[in-house]
Amino acid sequence: MSAILAIALKDLKLLARDKSGFFWVLVFPLLIALFFGSVFAGGESRAPMPIAVVDEDGSAFSHSMAAELAKSEALHVHGMSLDSARTAVRRGRLTAYVLFPKGSGQSLGFGSANDSSSIELGLDPSRRAEAGYLKGLVTQALFSSLMGSFTLEAPGREAIRERIASIEADTTIAATRRGELALFYRNLDQMLGSLDRVERAAPDSAAPRSAGPRIRTRDMTAETAEPRSPFEVTFPSAVMWALIGVCMSFAISIVHERLTGTLLRLRLAPISRTQVLLGKALAAFLAAMGATGLLLTFASLVLGVRITNPPALLAALAASAFCFVGIMMVISTLGRTHQAVSGAGWAILLVMSMTGGGMIPLIAMPSWMVTLSHFSLVKWGVLAVEGAIWRGFSWSEMALPLGILVAVGALGLAIGARRLERAQS
Amino acid sequence: MPAAAIEVEDLHHAYGAVPALNGISFQVGAGECFGLLGPNGAGKTTTIQAIVGALRPDRGRVAILGEDDPTRPSVRSRIGVVPQSLALYQELTGEENLAFFGKLYGLNGARLKARVDATLALAGLTDRAKDRASTYSGGMQRRLNLVCGLIHDPLVILMDEPTVGVDPQSRNLIFENIESLKAQGRTVLYTTHYMEEAERLCDRVAIVDHGKILALDRVSALLTLSPTPSPDLEAVFLHLTGTTLRDQ
Repeated sequence: MSAILAIALKDLKLLARDKSGFFWVLVFPLLIALFFGSVFAGGESRAPMPIAVVDEDGSAFSHSMAAELAKSEALHVHGMSLDSARTAVRRGRLTAYVLFPKGSGQSLGFGSANDSSSIELGLDPSRRAEAGYLKGLVTQALFSSLMGSFTLEAPGREAIRERIASIEADTTIAATRRGELALFYRNLDQMLGSLDRVERAAPDSAAPRSAGPRIRTRDMTAETAEPRSPFEVTFPSAVMWALIGVCMSFAISIVHERLTGTLLRLRLAPISRTQVLLGKALAAFLAAMGATGLLLTFASLVLGVRITNPPALLAALAASAFCFVGIMMVISTLGRTHQAVSGAGWAILLVMSMTGGGMIPLIAMPSWMVTLSHFSLVKWGVLAVEGAIWRGFSWSEMALPLGILVAVGALGLAIGARRLERAQS
Repeated sequence: MPAAAIEVEDLHHAYGAVPALNGISFQVGAGECFGLLGPNGAGKTTTIQAIVGALRPDRGRVAILGEDDPTRPSVRSRIGVVPQSLALYQELTGEENLAFFGKLYGLNGARLKARVDATLALAGLTDRAKDRASTYSGGMQRRLNLVCGLIHDPLVILMDEPTVGVDPQSRNLIFENIESLKAQGRTVLYTTHYMEEAERLCDRVAIVDHGKILALDRVSALLTLSPTPSPDLEAVFLHLTGTTLRDQ
């Protein structure tokens, strides 16, 4: 054990004294996170989302919906024709449009998916991160409008009464069935009337019930799993860059030791090859944990990045570090020279980073890229760290990324150790 | 010859299709300084690697201090290797390099400190102990490289061209170190292509080329093979190995 520790401490000392290694492991990831975090931030609050409301129905319901959406501080609503709205979204001037087609007032927005009277949301696909937010706001506006429409003298109640009259006059329906349907609608009308009277009589019901709740800009992270600040997105990526830096530093250091002969000295000492490899792996693991820990401590203390589940974060960092130690072992055997290993290593890790959320945040990826990202270990690392920071993952949700990271790390260690032994003998 | 500390028997090894060792056999007695003299690519380094177990020969047998398996920790703890390349951590100080290698051999505490101090003194590096190896001159690095192989006070020392590229003063200090080791009864296997080193240090010399031993005897006996009127080991060497350039 003392030999393993001696090797690990020696490697950590060498890393600390290597200015370029230190830069790639700690300074570069920090700069990346700060730079992109600042670019994405653009101020404290989210700017209102520009959308178009297209009212082709012209009903009380669609007017009410448009008014509800316009009240939202999170939206900047423009009224326009459908063609103009579609063009504006396609050209990126608007994030989305909301269409109330003819008949949507009658179906009260609850048409089936293929029903031409259902509400249509036209979304800019490159801004999927905001799509969920907009859908939530539209749904909220829909329920506000519906609540208003069922109050006394409102169109919904009137529609019920018209429906009762229509049923009673319809002789094509069997008399018994007519009676049952009419009874149902009368009871519904009475229930809504009672609710409305109770609401009006309540001391805190100063505002008319038909106004519905005001739509406010909510801090989404308070209720939904979304990042509160851009730094909560950029720092998990920075963690991956730090791991990549550690991975490359140690992979190249193994080649360096092989070329200079110090690895031969290690092999000729009265210790096993396993001890030599474990010493290297331990050093890389500790360096990875130290660098990522420092980055996230800085992010938490200085930039207010939340760490909602510290034990899960520790597990995420440990699993990610272990995974990259395994990758490091394999990469160190991909060439005989510094240049060969460096070239192969960066080629592999840059592709992993590009496809896995190291450059484009996972939440901003188009769907095809999300599919591709499943093959990148950076994605599972980012997901695990985000799961512990802001995604609010349960342990069962953490299990998949953690399991993948640990399994790949173990496989990498086994393959790397075997290839290293073969290369040495 | 005293009891053999190193026994090498019929070693064969090839790197792919290129033969490196072609039936090398010799014995080195305990306390003896034995020289392997040969041109570049003769098989000297491969022989050392096979002896210490860093390379598994295709055929043949090696025994050190009576044990057949040089990779066993009990053997490794008693042998010291000085590689031809500067196998040092350039960003560690001289003292840190020695302390690190000492720990690998199980040294610690006061014993480790005593050995580090002793080997620093042996290398003439006490005053520069706290400086990084990267700041040392070529000669200082060679001396440090030498004593890193001696940190655990081994019984058998294998040195692969330890004086390559050093200044005369450093070379002289290295020679004095080796003579001191001989005086302490240590066994030394020394490879070189410098005749005067072999003449000064070695009790017996084997001249090797193309993975074969061409001659093996005491230096005085080898000199009798000299084709020149005045006995000259270099003339013997060229006579046996030829004058073809070895640009490997």
